[in-house]
Amino acid sequence: MSNRSQLISTGKPFQFDRERDAEFERLSTRYPTRESLILPALWLIQEQEGWICQEALAYAADRIGTFASKLYEAVTFYTMFHLHPMGRNHICVCRTLSCWLLGKQEIVDFLKNEIGITPGQISEDGRFSLEEVECLGHCGTAPVVQVNGEFHENMDAGKLKELLATLP
Amino acid sequence: MADKIKLFVNGVEVEVEAGKNLIDAIGAVGIEIPHFCYHPALGSDGNCRMCLVGIEDGRPPLVPACKTPAQAGMKVLLDAAHIKKIQHDVMELELINHPIDCPICDQAGECKLQDFYMSYDKQPSRMTVAQVKKGKKLDYGCGIVHDQERCVLCARCVRFCRQITKTGELGIVNRSDAAQVEFFPGRPINNRYAQNIVDLCPVGAMTSADFRFKQRVWFLKRAKGICHGCAKGCNITIEHNREKYQEDRIYRFLPRLNPQVNGYFICDKGRYSYHKENEGRLTVARQGSQVRNQADALAACNQEISRSPKIAMILSPNCSLEEMVAVKSLAEKLGATLSGFSDGYISAGDGDGYLIQDDKSANRAGLGILGINSNRAVFEKDLGEAQLLVNFNNDLTRSYTEPELRALLKDTKMILAASHDDGLAAMAAIAIPIAAASEYSGSLVNCDNILQSFTKAVSKNHDPVDIGTLAAQLGSPLQTRAEQFSELRKYLSVLKNFEADTLPAEGLKLTDNEATHVTA
Ligand code: SF4
Ligand code: SF4
Ligand code: FES
Ligand code: FES
Repeated sequence: MSNRSQLISTGKPFQFDRERDAEFERLSTRYPTRESLILPALWLIQEQEGWICQEALAYAADRIGTFASKLYEAVTFYTMFHLHPMGRNHICVCRTLSCWLLGKQEIVDFLKNEIGITPGQISEDGRFSLEEVECLGHCGTAPVVQVNGEFHENMDAGKLKELLATLP
Repeated sequence: MADKIKLFVNGVEVEVEAGKNLIDAIGAVGIEIPHFCYHPALGSDGNCRMCLVGIEDGRPPLVPACKTPAQAGMKVLLDAAHIKKIQHDVMELELINHPIDCPICDQAGECKLQDFYMSYDKQPSRMTVAQVKKGKKLDYGCGIVHDQERCVLCARCVRFCRQITKTGELGIVNRSDAAQVEFFPGRPINNRYAQNIVDLCPVGAMTSADFRFKQRVWFLKRAKGICHGCAKGCNITIEHNREKYQEDRIYRFLPRLNPQVNGYFICDKGRYSYHKENEGRLTVARQGSQVRNQADALAACNQEISRSPKIAMILSPNCSLEEMVAVKSLAEKLGATLSGFSDGYISAGDGDGYLIQDDKSANRAGLGILGINSNRAVFEKDLGEAQLLVNFNNDLTRSYTEPELRALLKDTKMILAASHDDGLAAMAAIAIPIAAASEYSGSLVNCDNILQSFTKAVSKNHDPVDIGTLAAQLGSPLQTRAEQFSELRKYLSVLKNFEADTLPAEGLKLTDNEATHVTA
């Protein structure tokens, strides 16, 4: 397991945009306690910025009315939260058993040749980032790749090549 | 008194208090269930699994003792082979990445990991992969030094900041073997009770910058005391040691459990007040700028007293009831006025509704009980009319600036009995060293009208007297502590069933009548 405790400070204040603000307010009536808003708030930040900086965490803690340390715990525990900027398109390749048996390495190798990045890296032009993740829960249609949150099942190098071509 | 129930531990019947969890219930009769994360003040968290026990009644094979209430007839298994195996395995897990730096760890001697290793594990390591190394000697704020490697992730420190101080500085970040206690970047621990974290930490992961490496804990002698830092009167353990040829020194104050007064904790300021017991002390008697031995200084005092037609006396609101009553009798005998004026001991707005009080004196309630006037104008008037002021350790520099004091004293001479050599000693005609709070016995009444007693913890080489003894030497009719105590019974009828030093450990709650000075 890696140490994710180094938060990045942008030095700039963070704020939800109009849309996220409204969504946050809508969600806040949904739970019996405000602390239940921790995970949704983290998702909203990530949706807005693509990643989560120190200022955003402090902001969300204030909005929720809880200790910043609690958001710090959650954001470092769940690896799907990005603590630094990612590529414009974030690719997650499942590396757990079913996907592994059915050829996840082929996909990873393909990406290495095609765009020159290995898991954990961001392409030089900032267009792609790659990450290997644990079971995505689509074992029946393994191997599975998740691109910008969307699942792509029964993947292989050829299909992935077509998919990449459609991405910004 | 809580109800008692009977249950079985390893087949042996024991009687325990109902309503407690197994750790506390069985612990009270001397049977240990090892545990890291549970603490009675913080509740159970169930994260360490060190406390797993068996219950022979068809429950799951293992239950955490910290979350299991004791019930009548329960059959608790601690010594079965599968429980021993669990204890070994949990210990092994805890020690996978733990640095074995006990010889240099400041917690050695009071570390639960070390103790439990010796009692429940003692196996060679089976680890073949490299240890995960984490940060060492990190500054976590408020004088707390964190050694991440040693942490067993019991989260006591985290829960203390969230539940007790409600400041929530700490969290456990990351997961699995990267998990570690952290503060949010730029927001280190910042509360007035932070040092309790060091006491709560069962291992050497949180240590005190103030205490680290000053002493091995097994060299320290322990005595019970009452903090004199404010009117709360928190119960403390005074840990001290006299190294060969040296003075007896206090190394730390630790909180001592008293559910009626301070629970498990004390404030940092009170904790650090031990420094004042060690330092800045008045150790020799002086007449003017001349050093005098105690007997000569006393003789000089008696001479001054006998030649002054009008004497004013003042005492400190930190004096014990015994001291107060002795001085009061002395004043009455000499026809002197007596004041407890001490506005300077009050720091308005500093109290926090928890332990810390505005009133930084330990026995202001005692002044009321004994009917000692504390009015400023009355004191100043009395002083103006007197040729001599006998000051029993009242730090008047808290209430007046030096020029104000000089103006007030004008040609009134001052005899000063003081534990500390502050600005006041220089203004005194005669200054006599007396004992500080850790060096004598007595009783106090706190802000909640709880009467508590404390006993002498530390013996200094120059062995200063307490104010009660000094008052006796100056002619108080109450010559011994026993006489002082029986005089106190006239003011406090609750004392009729007690002797000095036999008050209940948790103190005596006075009735409103007693506290507001209705003499028996
Ligand atoms: S630092 Fe100490 S109290 Fe805090 S989680 Fe670690 S072992 Fe527990
Ligand atoms: S709250 Fe008052 S009595 Fe308690 S430790 Fe602090 S200063 Fe001492
Ligand atoms: S193993 Fe890849 S989705 Fe489950
Ligand atoms: S004390 Fe019970 S799980 Fe830690």
